[in-house]
Amino acid sequence: MILKIDNLYKSYDTITAINGISLNIEKGERVVILGPSGCGKTTLLRIIAGFIQPDKGVVTVDTVTVAANGKCLVESENRNIGMVFQDLALWPHMSVYRNLEFGLKARKIPKKERAGRIDQILAKMQMKQYENSSPSDLSGGQQQRVALARALVSQPKILLMDEPLSNLDLDLNLLLRKEILRLQQDLNITMLYVTHDRDEAFSLATRIIVMSHGKIQKVGNAQEVSQYLSGLSRTHKTDWKCADDSDIIVDR
Amino acid sequence: MKKALIIALITVSVISFLGSSCRRDVSPETKEVVAYVSEDQVFSEPVLKDFERETGIKVKAVYDTEETKSTGAMNRLIAEKNNPQADIYWANEPIRAVVLKQKGISTPYFSPNAEGIPSVFKDFEGYWTGFSARARVLVVSNEAKPPRSILDYTNEVWRNRSVIANPLFGTTTSWVAALFTIWGDDKAKEFMEKMKNNGVKISTSNGESTILVANKEFAFSLVDSDDATNAIRDGKPVRQIYPDQEEGQLGCLILPNAAVLIKGGPNPENGKKLIDYLLSAETERKLAFADCAQIPLHKGVDTPVDVKKIEDIKTMDIDYETVAKKLQGIQGYLKEWSGY
Amino acid sequence: MAKKCTLLLIILLLAVIGLAPVVSMFIKSFFVDGELSFKNYQILFQSKRQWSLLSHSLGLACATTFITVLLGLALGTVFAKTDLPFKKLFIVLFVIPLVIPSYILAVAWFYFLGRDGILAGLLGAKIGAITSRFLFSFAGTLFVMVSTLLPIVIILTITYLRMVNPRLEEAGKLYAGWPVVLRKISIPIVMPGVFLAGLIVFILTLGEFGVPLSLRFEVFPIESFIQFSAFYNFNAATASAIPLGLITCIVLIVERIFLRKKTFQFRTVEQEPTIIVPLGKMKPFFFVAVSVLAFIFVTIPIAVLLIKSFSLSSYGEALARGRDAIFRSLIYASIGATCLVVLGFFLGYVLERKALRFSFVADSLAIFLFALPSTVIGIGLISLWNTRATNFIYASMAIILFGYIAQYTALSERIMAATFSQIPRSMEEAAQIAGAGWFRRLFSVLVPQAKYGIVAAWLVGFIFCLKDLGITMIVYPPAHNTLPVHIFTLMANSPEQVIAALCVIMVVITCLPLGVLTMVTKYMG
Repeated sequence: MILKIDNLYKSYDTITAINGISLNIEKGERVVILGPSGCGKTTLLRIIAGFIQPDKGVVTVDTVTVAANGKCLVESENRNIGMVFQDLALWPHMSVYRNLEFGLKARKIPKKERAGRIDQILAKMQMKQYENSSPSDLSGGQQQRVALARALVSQPKILLMDEPLSNLDLDLNLLLRKEILRLQQDLNITMLYVTHDRDEAFSLATRIIVMSHGKIQKVGNAQEVSQYLSGLSRTHKTDWKCADDSDIIVDR
Repeated sequence: MKKALIIALITVSVISFLGSSCRRDVSPETKEVVAYVSEDQVFSEPVLKDFERETGIKVKAVYDTEETKSTGAMNRLIAEKNNPQADIYWANEPIRAVVLKQKGISTPYFSPNAEGIPSVFKDFEGYWTGFSARARVLVVSNEAKPPRSILDYTNEVWRNRSVIANPLFGTTTSWVAALFTIWGDDKAKEFMEKMKNNGVKISTSNGESTILVANKEFAFSLVDSDDATNAIRDGKPVRQIYPDQEEGQLGCLILPNAAVLIKGGPNPENGKKLIDYLLSAETERKLAFADCAQIPLHKGVDTPVDVKKIEDIKTMDIDYETVAKKLQGIQGYLKEWSGY
Repeated sequence: MAKKCTLLLIILLLAVIGLAPVVSMFIKSFFVDGELSFKNYQILFQSKRQWSLLSHSLGLACATTFITVLLGLALGTVFAKTDLPFKKLFIVLFVIPLVIPSYILAVAWFYFLGRDGILAGLLGAKIGAITSRFLFSFAGTLFVMVSTLLPIVIILTITYLRMVNPRLEEAGKLYAGWPVVLRKISIPIVMPGVFLAGLIVFILTLGEFGVPLSLRFEVFPIESFIQFSAFYNFNAATASAIPLGLITCIVLIVERIFLRKKTFQFRTVEQEPTIIVPLGKMKPFFFVAVSVLAFIFVTIPIAVLLIKSFSLSSYGEALARGRDAIFRSLIYASIGATCLVVLGFFLGYVLERKALRFSFVADSLAIFLFALPSTVIGIGLISLWNTRATNFIYASMAIILFGYIAQYTALSERIMAATFSQIPRSMEEAAQIAGAGWFRRLFSVLVPQAKYGIVAAWLVGFIFCLKDLGITMIVYPPAHNTLPVHIFTLMANSPEQVIAALCVIMVVITCLPLGVLTMVTKYMG
């Protein structure tokens, strides 16, 4: 088990973002958390990454307890987790190469090995020719690839992805989805992917977790979840209204 | 376009509002007078307030700082020449008044109260009139055999034990220029060089010189009499000595305040009234008793015990106009001497 | 159309208010005794002494900039990003030396470190001799300049760090601890802001003569001052001031080259709160370190002033004498700051959005004026505006405002430019597509997004206008003096206690509006 979450709770003032979640993720899984915006899925990712601490509950990464009952036991930088942010968060003052090198340098990987790893991942992403470019000089799709490369180059235990494709056009979205799949299978990396888009979920996931109101509503494969959602849209659509009144995208 | 118009309208109204706080009125004579004042505000303000009270004419003053702190009243007067804002200038020494005369910024006025003032302390053409003077005196730490002449600045006995204020500024400049007019360039320069070689320290002001002597860091300094009198009244362990008072000696330099009427000022009649007030025996009496301890030039004015009467002092025989001209001529030399 | 007109109008305003007076002085500097001549400049450039003084000034400016940037960056980072206790109090404390006229600060240190000072009284004459030697030297001058100008770097560092996108820091936090993230991500991102702070410190130190003069350290601006004050030679004085402007232009060129590519847009649309770094076990260490620095730079001079002013009667007297000046200071500084923000807003827009061709010209003009000695600007203002036709401006508070605008616009302009660099153009473009005219876009899109920058620009403008001495001294209409002018005119022969009391009052009146504004911004969220 790569990731274990036990009875997690998290509130902000009067809003309960996470209302008792437990889940286990095995190595090599592609788990997608599907739910409308504002329903706690990003909060869950941020707790796993270590940016915020849960009020109650235990988070275990690869048998090490990293957070328990409000206390951070292992800092983010020591959890060996990779993350692709929704707005990518590429460092604007660094070139593509330096963006990728940052994490490796911090982990004190020797120079030769750093260069090797970066070259390898950039080649996989077909971004080698941009290694000296500034992120602001790249297109949206290229920036996505760099963000992904940065998350993968440090060979993390888990790859967290927070709606990374939501800003892209359909063609690019599909293209990058394929790439993500390919990479994940190639590197056999455990992936926890968050989205509100059903199609993305169905095409990427080995397992889908449906979330709303801070709780897990359904866990299953694409078919099971699809049936579940169809049933909901016929009868309990209003149940899917969340904090910001947005709907889950049921139909495209 | 509309927005630009609105903005223009607002701008105009703001300017009008600001203009309404304008000082210079169109009407010929108002109940106010504008005075630029170089005499320390602490001493001059009470006199001006008394004038206000007694005449009902409001005094709007611009005060000055010590020369070494910032530029001030003189620069304003010179810069404002083409459209004078001031009615009178209360100079704290006559050289400035002469400079204003030379630059065509002042205009003659013979005040009735100037009658009692000796002609040596007045401009013969009426461009300025002196009153309430300071003397350049030696302030001395308690020494058994104190210096009694400015020549002691070059005396071996006082090597590295004397201090003088920066001769680029203020009354010290006037004093050096006065020496140049009396002795001639060569002898004066020789004196200055000897003084330097004798290890004289240069301070930033007469006030600082006085403090240094009072703290026993130096034996003596040539300062203004008000600085010395003040230190003594404050209980500091110093004495005041009028230098070169013996027969055949130089005498000490007297620097009176000077009242100047500004050419083209907004309220000339009120300006004259203020000058009359400043030149009165009563004002001289007030300034003698105040902490500035200045020496009245009218005869018979009541003075406190520690303020000498003008007739009891052997004064340096100079003409202020000549001194002012000489001052302008030696500026380059003074700059070099001070190390600038 | 409206956009171009307004922007050109603003630049014209700056040119008329600020540049025209200086140009008229500059032209006159080529005249000696009524004849065209380079003599003023010849004397200047041929004098070995002047070059030596210039090297002193440059040395002082470089050293001050280096130390204040290092220290200010560190302190600003601690204040902006950590959970240090009593942060707000520390920030207010460190700002205080900026508020006090630097000359007064030098005097306060003299009272403390002088041969006969408080420290000598406590520790003996030998110590007094050592501290006196330290004070009256390059080191002492450097120390006083650093304590005066450190707040600028602190304020700007805090302002900029608060604008960094937290996601960028979190992305770094996945790999490294906070010290590395701050050092390699947060701080490099705010480099343009840090450089701006350094530029301001450099310019202010280069043009400073009050502190060096009283501490006997000879610097270049003294020449210009002597020409004005001792010789009444305006033309030579202007000539002596020009090199300062030239050096600043060179620094500007360096800045353009260095920072050409580095305008980063860092914040995303959502106003997310800055991440606060917990200091954890290091908290006591940081607290002690910051407290020691605050004690040295702030507490000692303030305490000296308080000790010197220690009697209710001196405060009573100070208030009685200075009441009108205090009131006027607050009004002029408030109006001045507002004018500066308005001008800075548009000029910053021109600079950052490159809204006009040669947008850097307006910026260079503003910085050039900032670097010039106040006396040159002041005398220039008199010669331009003191005419019968324009008397309604000259003889009113407008002339003081003109002076503030001429001298300090660069500050608000640069702060606003930096603020706008955080706001994506797409925000304005979206409003434009929706049909909003330029002014509506400015006020409904840009202003709300820029509110922190506007407040920062207003505060900085307020502080500088309030403590201004050089310009106000030259142009204030009779009986319209401000508190700094009042303090200086009273210094000659007024009791020390009253002067000290006036200085303390000056600190208080500066901090009160700052306190009010902090509460208002907190309320605004």
